Amino acid sequence: MRDVLRFLAAWALVHESADEGWRAAVTRGAGLSPGDLERGPDDFVDGLAALVDAEKERLKRDLAADGGGVAPTEGASDRRDADLTAALEAVRFDLAELRGRIESLQTSVDALHAERDD
Amino acid sequence: MSARGRAIAAVALRSGASAAWRSGFGLRPRAERRRAVARALRLACEALGPTFIKLGQLASVRPDLVTPEMVFELERLQDRVPAVPVDAIRDVIRRELGAAPEHLFASFDPEPIATASIAQVHEATLAAPYRCVNGRLLEAGARVAVKVVRPGVARLIADDLAVARRWAERAERIRWLARWGPNALLREFESSLARELDLRVEGRVGDRFAFDFADDPLVMVPAVVWTHTTRSVLTSEFVDGWLLSELGEAERAGIDARALATHGAEVFMRQVLVFGRYHADLHPANLIVTRDGRIGYIDFGIAGRTTPPQRQAIAQVLVATAYGDAERALRASRALGLEVPEAVEPALRSGVARLMRAHLARSPADVRGFVTGFLGLLAEHRIAIPEGYGMLVKALVTVEGVARAIDPDIDLIEASKPFTTRLVAAQLLRPERLRERLPAALRAALAELMA
Repeated sequence: MRDVLRFLAAWALVHESADEGWRAAVTRGAGLSPGDLERGPDDFVDGLAALVDAEKERLKRDLAADGGGVAPTEGASDRRDADLTAALEAVRFDLAELRGRIESLQTSVDALHAERDD
Repeated sequence: MSARGRAIAAVALRSGASAAWRSGFGLRPRAERRRAVARALRLACEALGPTFIKLGQLASVRPDLVTPEMVFELERLQDRVPAVPVDAIRDVIRRELGAAPEHLFASFDPEPIATASIAQVHEATLAAPYRCVNGRLLEAGARVAVKVVRPGVARLIADDLAVARRWAERAERIRWLARWGPNALLREFESSLARELDLRVEGRVGDRFAFDFADDPLVMVPAVVWTHTTRSVLTSEFVDGWLLSELGEAERAGIDARALATHGAEVFMRQVLVFGRYHADLHPANLIVTRDGRIGYIDFGIAGRTTPPQRQAIAQVLVATAYGDAERALRASRALGLEVPEAVEPALRSGVARLMRAHLARSPADVRGFVTGFLGLLAEHRIAIPEGYGMLVKALVTVEGVARAIDPDIDLIEASKPFTTRLVAAQLLRPERLRERLPAALRAALAELMA
């Protein structure tokens, strides 16, 4: 039992440290200017953390504005556009297929008329 | 008994005698006996004409109904018959389309380009432009293939089916024959034959296939000219290219046949696993390598369908098979209706594992050998094969055969691995599935940690 508690404590500690590290990275990243990479990869990671944090705040605001639902973000809007395009294509196809069926039936009707008139 | 009934009975008796002789009157080993019966049946179908050739072809994609030996023998059915005189074809076109071909088309070649038991095909050119279902414009003068049902074939099939119905009634009263359900079987064949005789069905399946693969630049499906298509006449875009038997010439013209073979395998997987509609009769004569290096698909007479849950299960079976996991493959097969009694499960599992090691663990994998062994194993344990499962398994073997005709070294399992793996991964990572399975997975992980 003590081992399990120890494991969970280790997990909590890692989580806490990661959280602190994350906050520090966000703060450092927020202070960087675009293209500022003096410290190399570390600056890049900090900058990325700041960007992700800003996106997280935007998502929080969207969720709050939508009363808990997910408001359309740029990615969601792209997905919706793609879904709409696919749905439109499917309906267009159904319509064209229907036209094909009608053309074929019309041909049969015309052929029967021609046979009767012969 | 009608004259046709007597003729059928005579051929059946002759074939039965031939099978008995070739199987040493039942004294030869079982596999040999089955092969002899299958061969006699194929020759009988060829002798009896269109109805039986078609029935044989339909049976050849249904390992759920006939033995594996029968499946692979019937796929060799020769469907070549003498051409119908062009005047008779003109009459059909005049009756169906209301005018003679010379008035309907800018040109009409009286020499057929293909003849088969049900229909024959003539080349023609369009007299006026036509906007196809996919929105593409076929210009006036575009080459088309005009497929015409042979005159009198519908009557002949109706007569043959009337004889078959009487025989099925009798067979239903004989206990050892009744277990095959001859009446139900015949009804099923009748509806399949009716679908094949109505060429509009084939046209619609083709158009849908073209729509599904509109985003694939390597797939070519001939567009249907619906103003020149009715129940007995199908006019579609001409597919110019090489048959699979002429690939040497295609390769000399710079076509990458190997890449096409691999792509063809992926196209099949997409049909089955993504769209749920697949060409179930993909033998070499139904594929053409076009002059611009695409795969042309023709003749959509036999098509299979899969539902979304089936697609999920098929993907699981394919991935498990590809990775040699017999237990998982059988578990996923249950979702496809394969009912394995508990008592035989261990034997079946070890049999499947053995077949996987023998046929799939080598390079290139031998899907046909594996499937033949697997179907034999199911028959041995008297496990019924669900219809869709049988048709799909056979289609997979046919795809391997076609792919091998293009590239003898292709490994269908290896070629399909990336696609099926991607698909299963996508299925597993669906948010609703994660929501459903994550709590159980976390509980299991915690239990494992605390054990």
